[in-house]
Amino acid sequence: MFSQAKRRKLSEWFTAYVFLAPWFFILFVFVLFSIGWAFYLSFTDYNLFSPPKWVGLSQYIRVLRDRDFLQRALPNTLQYVAVVVPIQTFISLIIAFALDQNIRFRRFFRTAFYVPSVTSSVVISLIFVWLFSKVGIINQIFHLKIDWLNSPTYALPTIMMVNIWSTIGTMMLIFLAALQDIPLTLYEAAQIDGANRFQILRYVTIPALRPAIFFVVTMGVIGCFQVFDQIYVMTAGGPLGSTTTIAYLIYKWAFGSTNIQMGRASAVAFILSLMILVVVLIQRRIIEREE
Amino acid sequence: MYRKAFALMALLVVAGLVLTACAPQTVTVTVPVKETVPVPVEKTVVVPQERATVRLSGWAANPQETALLESLLYRFSLENPDIIVKYEPITGDYWQAIKTLVGAGEEPDIYYMDIFQFPFFAKEGVLLPLDDLMAATGTSRDAFIPDLINAFTYEGETYGIPKDFNTLALFFNKDLFDQAGLAYPTDDWTWDDLKAAAQQLSQPDKNIYGMGVPADPGRFPIFVFQNGGRIMTEDFSDTLLDSPEVAEAARFYTGFYFDKSGALPSDVGEGWQGTAFGKGNFAMVYEGGWLIPYLNQQFPDLKYGAVLPPKGPKGYGNLIFTVAYVISKNSKNPEAAWKVIEFLTNEASQTTVLESGFALPSRASLINNPYFESHPESAAIFQGANGATPFMWGLYGSDVNEKMGQALERIYLEGQDPEASFQQAAQELREIMGK
Repeated sequence: MFSQAKRRKLSEWFTAYVFLAPWFFILFVFVLFSIGWAFYLSFTDYNLFSPPKWVGLSQYIRVLRDRDFLQRALPNTLQYVAVVVPIQTFISLIIAFALDQNIRFRRFFRTAFYVPSVTSSVVISLIFVWLFSKVGIINQIFHLKIDWLNSPTYALPTIMMVNIWSTIGTMMLIFLAALQDIPLTLYEAAQIDGANRFQILRYVTIPALRPAIFFVVTMGVIGCFQVFDQIYVMTAGGPLGSTTTIAYLIYKWAFGSTNIQMGRASAVAFILSLMILVVVLIQRRIIEREE
Repeated sequence: MYRKAFALMALLVVAGLVLTACAPQTVTVTVPVKETVPVPVEKTVVVPQERATVRLSGWAANPQETALLESLLYRFSLENPDIIVKYEPITGDYWQAIKTLVGAGEEPDIYYMDIFQFPFFAKEGVLLPLDDLMAATGTSRDAFIPDLINAFTYEGETYGIPKDFNTLALFFNKDLFDQAGLAYPTDDWTWDDLKAAAQQLSQPDKNIYGMGVPADPGRFPIFVFQNGGRIMTEDFSDTLLDSPEVAEAARFYTGFYFDKSGALPSDVGEGWQGTAFGKGNFAMVYEGGWLIPYLNQQFPDLKYGAVLPPKGPKGYGNLIFTVAYVISKNSKNPEAAWKVIEFLTNEASQTTVLESGFALPSRASLINNPYFESHPESAAIFQGANGATPFMWGLYGSDVNEKMGQALERIYLEGQDPEASFQQAAQELREIMGK
């Protein structure tokens, strides 16, 4: 026999799980099962129509030898992450500092900087396709004749710019919230101790922002490793594969091909998540060491 | 609390059972005669004959084309009350959607099949061979343009009935020709005439170019055919992109760009050369029948004409873009599905399609339709099918297209020699094909 208290506890558990059931259903079917199934598929040859055929590690080996992956998708993605993440973090931090001061039209600027983040990335991409076309406004303003999106040299940097421009709003918002969370007493104490503005920034503000910085950089790294929609809309991986990223390659092999390679696409997807995991772990190690 | 949840679930299950149990049938009902003694009486309830449901999916290219198909299906429903056709157009990425549906075994009974995608579906055996159904209703393969029906034939069996097609024609801007004092192109033009005209029409300082020469694998191959070359071997097991015929064709094609008698659409700030043609930036472009309704709508004042693509050193060559209706192997009502396809591709329906101006019908007999006399541009595209090659490169079609496009881009953007560029394309393609 259960005691009264134990029975009540059990019933509470049960109630809790009934409430959690819808979420569990979604988690198991659309997340865990899908991940597990994709992991299984990465060891098979699968074209959607015929049943998957077990091929062991050969999809992974094939990917790691593939020209498109090694010479285009991998270096393009790493370059993209290495350029976009630091710049977008830095710019959004600066803007957040500026908008944290008592300046005129502060509210207007906050809204203006945030607008790109609530706009559809497809719409933004289309607008930038016009801005950066050979006869577009950018070329007219600067008297250039560059065909930005059709040049292997400029296409990827152009997409980087679009992404930086459209993400700094959200990141600025996170920094702004974190800045306003810093207790004023800390600043006052620092001033009493005779710290100048730079010292306050270096020894009070930035350490207090560390969790926000970690969050922003992590989200930035994940988002950049997975960059897809801007590329799909603006260049479709071209010209000459100069904007083919890992996520785009996954799409191409899984759906954009007359000869579907689900197994290979799944293998790339797992290589990509492993890369993200490693980078985020290293980054956390660095931040922890600083503390 | 959770008891209520269970009760609710049980209720839903019961409701489901009740809802699925309603089907028309002959039933025995007990009719009370007088007020006291119930006497069983046999009573037949008249129910309509079992109606077959057929699902039909295609992409929705534009509202007008959808309306056209819907009106044909309405006509079908009047003649065939025993068949319900459910039209389920797919918006967005059609191939991604349809491949996923086929993979799950949930595909519609009838769906659109582009010739470019056909080899994969045929090889995987997910389509129903139509020959027996055709024989049962006396539909002959000969009624259709041979190149079209042959394209949808795999290992001797017919898998698709072409619904319409397109070829490429040389569209030209009459005003620009008049300004340059040049005679309009004719069906007898050759590469030399094309080159000479393009050079005379070009005024790069005014952003006007003689011809559009995009790095497009859906345009360039006709120059290869006109030069006696091929993109793939006969059985599609290997590529011929490294053959001298291809390199020569590429040299001629990209030459327009280098001597400024032609340009890429992006040079004039457009994504598609059709727009550049409409705006008067390009005096000539190779495009298909889809350009006609676009121009009529967006550039109603433009004066233009269209003729067969000029002949190359080895004569005539063109591409055929075609789409067929296919029946899924999983279809539960293949006979009903076939009736729908037969109706949609019969002479009356195909005449309606032709007169709507959206697509060219696949029936050979319509060549004498008076529509062509009043629409010479459409006539050029219809006649273009003679001696043309279907736009299909086998199982690795998308890879062939990608490598061909990149080979042209290397020539344009990096100034690589055409021969070396296409050799690289062939080599990369063979790597993908596992050679």
